[in-house]
Amino acid sequence: MTDPAVPAASGARQFWRRLRTQRAALAAAGVVALLVLVALAAPLLTAVEGQDPTTYHPSLVDSARGGVPVGPLGGASADHWFGVEPQTGRDLFARLVYGARVSLGVALAATVVQVAIGITLGVAAALGKRWVDQLLSRFTDVMVAMPLMIMALALLAIVPASFPRPVLVALVIGLIGWGNIARIVRAQTLTLKELDYVAAARLSGWGTWSIARRELLPGIAAPVITYAALLVPTNITVEAALSFLGVGVKPPTPSWGQMLTAADVWYQAAPQYLLLPAGALFVTVLALTVLGDGVRTALDPRAASRLRVGTGRRQESKAAGGGTA
Amino acid sequence: MVRDAFREVVFPMRQPSVTARRVAAASVSLVLAAGATACGPEDNDAKAAGGDSTPHKGGTLTVLNANPQQDFDPARLYTSGGGNVPSLVFRTLTTRNREDGAAGAKVVPDLATDTGRPNKDATVWTYTLKKGLTYEDGTPITSADIKYGIERSFAPELSGGAPYLRDWLVGAADYQGPYKDKKGLDAIETPDERTIVFHLNKPEGEFPYLATQTQFTPVPKSKDTGTKYEEHPVSSGPYKVVRNDNDGERLVLERNPHWSAVTDAERKAYPDKIDVRSGLDSSVINQRLSASQGADAAAVTTDTNLGPAELAKVTGDKDLASRVGTGHFGYTNYIAFNPKTKPFDNPKVRQAISYAIDRSSVVNAAGGSALAEPATTFLPDQKSFGYTPYDHFPAGKAGDAAKAKELLKEAGYAKGLTVTLTHSNAKDFETSPEIATAIQDALKKAGITVKLQGLEENDYSDKIHDVKAEPGFFLAHWGADWPSGGPFLAPIFDGRQIVKDGANFNTGQLNDTSVNDEIDAINKLTDLDQAAERWGALDQKIGEKALTVPLFHPVYKRLVGKDIKNVVISDWTGVLDISQVAVK
Repeated sequence: MTDPAVPAASGARQFWRRLRTQRAALAAAGVVALLVLVALAAPLLTAVEGQDPTTYHPSLVDSARGGVPVGPLGGASADHWFGVEPQTGRDLFARLVYGARVSLGVALAATVVQVAIGITLGVAAALGKRWVDQLLSRFTDVMVAMPLMIMALALLAIVPASFPRPVLVALVIGLIGWGNIARIVRAQTLTLKELDYVAAARLSGWGTWSIARRELLPGIAAPVITYAALLVPTNITVEAALSFLGVGVKPPTPSWGQMLTAADVWYQAAPQYLLLPAGALFVTVLALTVLGDGVRTALDPRAASRLRVGTGRRQESKAAGGGTA
Repeated sequence: MVRDAFREVVFPMRQPSVTARRVAAASVSLVLAAGATACGPEDNDAKAAGGDSTPHKGGTLTVLNANPQQDFDPARLYTSGGGNVPSLVFRTLTTRNREDGAAGAKVVPDLATDTGRPNKDATVWTYTLKKGLTYEDGTPITSADIKYGIERSFAPELSGGAPYLRDWLVGAADYQGPYKDKKGLDAIETPDERTIVFHLNKPEGEFPYLATQTQFTPVPKSKDTGTKYEEHPVSSGPYKVVRNDNDGERLVLERNPHWSAVTDAERKAYPDKIDVRSGLDSSVINQRLSASQGADAAAVTTDTNLGPAELAKVTGDKDLASRVGTGHFGYTNYIAFNPKTKPFDNPKVRQAISYAIDRSSVVNAAGGSALAEPATTFLPDQKSFGYTPYDHFPAGKAGDAAKAKELLKEAGYAKGLTVTLTHSNAKDFETSPEIATAIQDALKKAGITVKLQGLEENDYSDKIHDVKAEPGFFLAHWGADWPSGGPFLAPIFDGRQIVKDGANFNTGQLNDTSVNDEIDAINKLTDLDQAAERWGALDQKIGEKALTVPLFHPVYKRLVGKDIKNVVISDWTGVLDISQVAVK
């Protein structure tokens, strides 16, 4: 609760204050931070374990039984913390943490591309001439209507194999999935540009570019950040699905989606092989979704949390009430 | 067939074009798929899964398959040894011996009284039909019907069979079939109702193997309905088609009352009815066979193998393990080099890679020691192919990295070498990424950095069979149309079979006069055992050139329902023979 005598906190401070009251969002932020840390420290972690993600260990699998890992829990031991991969004996812990680099890296990069394109086209449509708006809006409609997976499959199939694959996957997802963000930005910009302070700027002789940068961008930041936070988990699942279908990153580079593909037939004989990437993907997507929802609630307290879990709406309304009293 | 193995594999010796090959390949998968099955206890001579092991007549056998029995017309089927399901309906001049193991790789008489009588240089082959042969309507089978059956396989609208007949018969190269050309083929004579004579344009000692294919089935001219014939082909075998839905997706066969075991020593025909259901997912097929509920207790599959993960589960269960049959089929997975490209023009580089291969990790990638046997010879490890053991570049179990480095140094690559390995993205554990990454890991130890180039299946197949686009270093596999060294070695190593425009299978682009001459000499032999020995010696000699690195021969594991009896798996097909199975 704030002291009524103190002037209202600035936007960013208000945001942090609201976010802090949501325990679920904080926990999710902690999990996300941990995952990013693990991905960044992958070489370090595997060095501590003494393994790497690509070396074969034929002696650790039972060749006569289809290559199932030797020993209980999928061959887990002091040397191989999460056991080994069936048929190859590659270290699963190493593959999982290196897989995090691909999954998180591709998803974040794709989100950046989506946001950049979305803002550019959205603002241009809102501020441009009528025909520009018509053209860009219809183009956006087409992109939104386009099934992402099918487009991505087609694009990934025609690009030569020499192009670095993770970059390509990020670009393809980014270049296809920006439609909704462009729509949101356009709508928000149209609302903002009718407001008095924007009109004042225009009357002072500011150019369109300066108005967009200095007056409009801060106003559209809130919905864009919110939407971007929710795009990251979507992009992770898209990357996993593309790798699952065999057009994502190429072997021997591990990715969670690719691990899932290889593991799906092993669910009975070596369940941990499937559960590890599936669990990692589940935790990551859940954490990012909860965090995204928390960000949304913190930026726009009037909107109720979609998830309705631990968002601290009660405390928040009390805090708000205290502030105005 | 086995784990899609045949899809790319059982190509004919030579093909006019990529399109033609694709058509052929497509039919291969169906027919073979159609035809084959394998199952049975671990030891190949075991007879049943518990209880009274004597097979009895009666009951319904269910066949659960992935691929439908498309184009069920003897002219259009592309089979090895007459196929499995097709062979229940179509009898041929000769057929494969329906026995377990190596004995099953022999060719035996079917409609004919013997496997064929050649002239001195094996260019004229004469057959005599057995007495008392009839169709499903009781009318007699004549030699003219066999001639007609072969002629109609030349009709463009009934394409799909192997190209051997067109290549081998005198004056057949441009024949368009009996619908357009009523005169027929002069290369086939029928002096009387029981005699048929074939005139070939070159010596072919292995003609008896070819006579097992369904094109050698009698077709009564009066019943021929052209492209519609596949809906109800007239049976000469123990079963007739009573139902064919959706182009072979569901095929129901019932007893042919006019078939007699007196004239057919090969087919046992125990069940009264055979119900073939296709279009199923392979995991569903194996799940249903392992559960063995209801009709599935009397079920087999002719085209689905146990995968590594399924095998891991089955081997932990005594009951299931007793219902797994093991089959071998002549088939080799290997690395191919294109010696026209650098650095593979240098034999030392090819040898270094041969030494560096870790066959234990390759075998594991292919499904483990139960599903693959390490290979050091190009010919499959079976007597009928003329298998002669050799290991010119011994890599041991895990690869000899030191020896490989030494050779690379001699070749001028002391600091190591970077190469690109081309493979397909098929999920077949054969030319797929799993095998490629295992090789990548092994070569790393010898200082060879391998970059992987995974291609979409059709793209891969087009590239490796195109002389101009052929990659330098790629995964390949090969299986033969019949269990002999000829169709195994000739398409890959005969210099006159290098196809400049079209599908080329001589990927090493070897054109060595001594090899070519030896192939011609062996083709003249009509003593198949003697021929096998010569093929083996030729394989050993070609192996010294290190044009390929043999990796492994696949082994096939098939699950059967719990009521299945009399399991027979020959080395010809590697799969359970439906004509021998009993359900009671």
